Amino acid sequence: MGVQAVSVSVVEREFGELALNMGPQHPSTHGVLRLVLHLSGETVLRAKPAIGYLHRGVEKLSEHLAYDQLAPVYERNDYLSPTSNSLAYCIAVERLGSIEVPRRGRFVRAFVAEWQRIASHLVWLGTLGLDLGGALGGGTTLYMYCFREREKILDFLETLTGTRFHTNVNMIGGCRYDLDAELSARSDRLATEIEGALPELHAMSGGTSIFQERTRGVGVISPDLALSVGVTGPTLRGSGIAHDVRRAVPYDAYDELKVEVPTRTAGDAEARYLVRMDEIRASIALVRAITAGLPPGAIFSRKPIKNPKATKLPAGEVYAAVESPRGELGIHLVSEGGPRPHRLKIRGPSFANLQVVEHLLPGGLVADVVAILGSLDPVMGDVDR
Amino acid sequence: MIAALILSALVLSVAMTIVAYMTWLERKVAARFQNRIGPYHVGAPHGWLQPLADIMKLIVKEDITPRAADRVLFNLGPVLVVVPALLGFAFIPIGPGLAVANHAYSFPFFLALASLTLLGVFAAGWSSNNKYALLSALRLVALVASYEIPMILALLVPAVLSGSLSLSGIVEAQRGLWFAATPVIGQLSLLLFLVCALAEGNKSPLDLLEAESELVAAYNVEYSGIKFALFYAGEYAHTLAMCTLAATVFFGGYLGPAFLPGFVWLLLKSVVLFVGVLWIRWSLMRVRIDQALRLNWLVLFPVALVNVFLAAFWAAGR
Amino acid sequence: MASASAIFLGTLKAMGTTLRNAFRRSTTLRYPKEKRPLPARWRGGSFALTFDPGTGEENCIGCRLCEYICPSEIIAVTLRKGEARANGIGATYCDVFTLDYQACMQCELCIQVCPTDAIVMTRALSPATRTREGLFLSKERLMDNGRRLLEETSLASEATGTKLREWTKPEGAA
Repeated sequence: MGVQAVSVSVVEREFGELALNMGPQHPSTHGVLRLVLHLSGETVLRAKPAIGYLHRGVEKLSEHLAYDQLAPVYERNDYLSPTSNSLAYCIAVERLGSIEVPRRGRFVRAFVAEWQRIASHLVWLGTLGLDLGGALGGGTTLYMYCFREREKILDFLETLTGTRFHTNVNMIGGCRYDLDAELSARSDRLATEIEGALPELHAMSGGTSIFQERTRGVGVISPDLALSVGVTGPTLRGSGIAHDVRRAVPYDAYDELKVEVPTRTAGDAEARYLVRMDEIRASIALVRAITAGLPPGAIFSRKPIKNPKATKLPAGEVYAAVESPRGELGIHLVSEGGPRPHRLKIRGPSFANLQVVEHLLPGGLVADVVAILGSLDPVMGDVDR
Repeated sequence: MIAALILSALVLSVAMTIVAYMTWLERKVAARFQNRIGPYHVGAPHGWLQPLADIMKLIVKEDITPRAADRVLFNLGPVLVVVPALLGFAFIPIGPGLAVANHAYSFPFFLALASLTLLGVFAAGWSSNNKYALLSALRLVALVASYEIPMILALLVPAVLSGSLSLSGIVEAQRGLWFAATPVIGQLSLLLFLVCALAEGNKSPLDLLEAESELVAAYNVEYSGIKFALFYAGEYAHTLAMCTLAATVFFGGYLGPAFLPGFVWLLLKSVVLFVGVLWIRWSLMRVRIDQALRLNWLVLFPVALVNVFLAAFWAAGR
Repeated sequence: MASASAIFLGTLKAMGTTLRNAFRRSTTLRYPKEKRPLPARWRGGSFALTFDPGTGEENCIGCRLCEYICPSEIIAVTLRKGEARANGIGATYCDVFTLDYQACMQCELCIQVCPTDAIVMTRALSPATRTREGLFLSKERLMDNGRRLLEETSLASEATGTKLREWTKPEGAA
């Protein structure tokens, strides 16, 4: 310990470098992310992310619980869009077990997933405002406006499912709660309200020159870097590559719905901002399309669940991915027959997206660090699991 | 002598109370902008007693000094931030010829005092022995020292227009027309001063010193208890002092229709300007340090220089 | 840097948005003076072991399905045999029924599998207590909640086991 301390201060004396620990407890690291920054004055020379502060051993827990019990557990991974996680899991199990989901069930699952995409992007925008504008400034105002709109979505989800957030609406074989005429009408009204609030949010953020100056040309991800690191989601689409799992490998109702995939080519933080704002509009169009074209029928295709150990999957492996608001969220499931998974690996989109930080931060200022992290939209629950 | 002491005690206590209630006002105004209510429990229904609760809480908190901090500077920091701001109130005229310290050079004296807060913040940032605080102190020297220049140039304009360097003289010269209403020159000076005051007082969009989301609490990250309370109060006192200065040199200070006494007019104008500062603060995001410096040297400084020359020609022409 | 007019206009628009919002009604709810209405399916409250409203007998038959399905493994049930019930659901009862609410994630899986609708979630606000022991729901606490449900049926969440199974019938709900 003593030797280490001396050598660090020797480095600082010799090279004029300051090693700053943007520690796990920090208002802007989007959770418990530790960034070790080497600074020269205000310029970042090197950056090294250290993760694992939110590791909860979910993949190990998966080997212990039965299939029917696991869906609510995964909702806590990417805690800003919980149904994406459980949806990926349910689709993986359904593919491996050849379990058919009724058409209406697929539509309702996609419906909740799209509302949660809108809610997640509203959180992203609000926290980006907090990062760029500070806890005592215009950023907080933007944050409050975003959360005011998000509360309406959460209240709607509460009426539909009983909880605001970790709704546990996806089950293996369908979903748990159904839409009736009143809820569909309420969803349409809510979609109009959120759409009406978007210009206001844009006026507070991307419409101001301060925001544009902070994000234009900052954190440029070239398409080659994005593909080599494995970046997905709006981060990838901001660099010009129009890859969306909902179109590439359609799941649920997305093979029947028209999915818009907004893309920008600049690759900087502003491009990612614009892509996500467009995605909110695209999701609003999707929820309207779903309530307009909801097919009749059942939402769940299996017999009522009793003892979870009764559900056994055939041996084999499967990889299933969904498009979470952060990118491609995949579940790789290995089964040896039996009521529990043998191994379940979660491909967290934020984990891959965060790796690009080492390439983006050097050369920028400290203020750019928070802008870049905010534009990547990592969720540490997804990174660490 | 006794009268001077009584007046200074009165002004000091009134100023401190107003500063404390400016914290309440800020929270209420910020809450209104954000569709919230702000404090309402303590002293229901509007949370009148919230400043009192805040001060009491901060007084009883543990006062921690880091072991490796430079003791003298660490303790001096909050003092150097609060005292000059409060001292500035002594020079503001609250009535014709009525001020705690009314002499012929009160205007530059006030500005010199306002610049002392720079020393206090730097002392705090450097002596904390903390990298976050040090980064903030570095930014401070770059930013605040740079923004002082256009600010002083902008404030030269009322002095030039009135031909006097005492605040009373400047107010008296506005009996006909407020300096803020002087075509182009007045508005430009006011705008310049406002932008620089935002930088000096660490308010968004120029609150780089205590960029909460990057540097956490920056220069006062190691402070707790009563020292933190002094920083907190000092920030509001400084902002209020700047607003009162703007009210005095641009908006006529205590001048106003006779149905209200002079100091009430001064208070009203200061509070309105303060709310204006709050409005800007709670609407805009933060600029980066290099962008802030570029704004200063490439835009504000030349404009301020040209403005002073224009004001000189205007004053000579009259 | 962008043109001066663009900067000015952008800034003014942001400030105009803030000013407009200053005159909107505040969205704050002054809890606990004002409480918001809870939806019918709300599951943020506590749990209750229900009684049959007709005969007054306990509904729990001690089948332990809730214990097996809980992902957090917080339910512990033991079975005992007793007198046959008047409503015909059997002669078994639960001897011990504890639910450690500290680790409950309100996933409703226990509600879903219960064959007799014995365990339900309540719509009463705040199962909050001041001690850890207060969160450890014993059978007595759960039955007390159940007796309150007998008097005030709206306190139970709409989502009981029967309802959930009805909504997810493979033939489609009515």
